[in-house]
Amino acid sequence: MKLSPSQFWRIRESQYRLIITECGSCGRKSVFKRSVCPFCGSSNVKHVESEGFGKVLDVTKVMYRWNSSDERPPLLVGVVELDEGVRVVGEIVGVGDNEEVKEGTRVEAVLRRYASDDPYGVIYYGIKFKPIKTA
Amino acid sequence: MEAGIRGWGAYIPKFRVSATEIATLWGYDVKLPKALGVVEKAVAEEDEDAVTMGWYAARVALKRAGVSGEDIDAVFFGTESKPYAVKPSATIVADALGVKRRKLSTDLEFACRAAGEGIRISIGLVKGGLAQNTLVIGSDTAQANPGDLLDFTASSGAVAFVIGNPSKSPAAIEASVSYVTDTPDFWRRDRSPYPEHGEIFTGEPAYFHHILSAAKLLLDETGLKPSDFDYAVFHQPNGKFPLQVARALGIPQEKVLPGLVTPYIGNTYNASALLGLAKILEEAKPGNRILVVTFGSGAGSDAFSIVVGDSIYEVVSRGPKVSDMISSRVSIPYGVYAKFRGLYLRNIGG
Ligand SMILES: [Zn+2]
Repeated sequence: MKLSPSQFWRIRESQYRLIITECGSCGRKSVFKRSVCPFCGSSNVKHVESEGFGKVLDVTKVMYRWNSSDERPPLLVGVVELDEGVRVVGEIVGVGDNEEVKEGTRVEAVLRRYASDDPYGVIYYGIKFKPIKTA
Repeated sequence: MEAGIRGWGAYIPKFRVSATEIATLWGYDVKLPKALGVVEKAVAEEDEDAVTMGWYAARVALKRAGVSGEDIDAVFFGTESKPYAVKPSATIVADALGVKRRKLSTDLEFACRAAGEGIRISIGLVKGGLAQNTLVIGSDTAQANPGDLLDFTASSGAVAFVIGNPSKSPAAIEASVSYVTDTPDFWRRDRSPYPEHGEIFTGEPAYFHHILSAAKLLLDETGLKPSDFDYAVFHQPNGKFPLQVARALGIPQEKVLPGLVTPYIGNTYNASALLGLAKILEEAKPGNRILVVTFGSGAGSDAFSIVVGDSIYEVVSRGPKVSDMISSRVSIPYGVYAKFRGLYLRNIGG
């Protein structure tokens, strides 16, 4: 899967770090670094970095194969509610064959490879989640 | 005091492949793992590499140190498995941690001891007033030719340290020294996927000579005796060499075992001895003195004398512990190890 180095570079801060936008007008929080609050349109916002901990609200196993070889199903993709109160969608990694990820599983943010233009292109890194302790 | 360890962090992948399975698969005597002193080795997942593991360890190190990326003046990334042959790993980790742009930042390569040299460079910067704090990372997804003896131990893991003002540190580095020669015991040529090693040559003239020489220099320069140390941790290419080098220095086994991690996770190369140091810091008491000696093929060693301070317990509690990462493990078969580490030759992008 070929990505664009320049497109990725522009959004790398939001790929590398879980930045939360806090609105000074309506008080709501949104994920990603935004210059305008998505709820009320105010530009009275400040940015804080999430501590990176949260819990899984829902998870699904993705078996879709993008093409014949360069993806690696099954992927676990989850909706994670960060402890700061915002929700983010992310891949869940570090799960053994006999381990289960379900609603309520505690996770922490980790930096992983999203993709790489193999064999000689750019490697794209970003935030995923891994269970802190799985039963 | 030269400088201090303000914080540290580690990362050990939870997936493990058993040394017995490696022996059986490749036709070695099943008693070989015991002779090497290894039970299993840690395996990074497909989407992990030296950068991602180093990031995790560094994030914990910053948290333990109680500093932010804005407080870091230099980032040194020690690895022999950098994801890019050309393009620094240190810059990726630094941006992902929010380290400020006004900084020094580079990857260091000296087989398994680049991170050790990164600590020595940091001591110089801190003592010289050019840096308040530096971040030193040792991280490797070590490669081994499948079926080679190195396949039993070459593993994945990372460790990171924030080096800064000793008065703000839970552990002070009171002395350090390096000993380096040109010794071809282990190498990897450009475009070769796996390293080569000088077989028996890796022991006496390489590992033992450099570690013992660096340790003796440190003892001579400080006037300390082996008995002055409560813990000793050495580079750990297998589970046996560190115990042999301790015996040669007259250091009893019980001072070495707390920092000996290779039997359970394999040789994490640039993390190895320093990961053992991280584990010791998490178990040590104020006033304890720790001897650390790294080793990197090619070849060289750095020796450090580290004294644990009063704030150690509080700083330990700010992050996950090495002993918990060692015990949090999931077994995988060799086939999954090969898949995770990209050992299968596949057509990509078809
Ligand atoms: Zn708003």
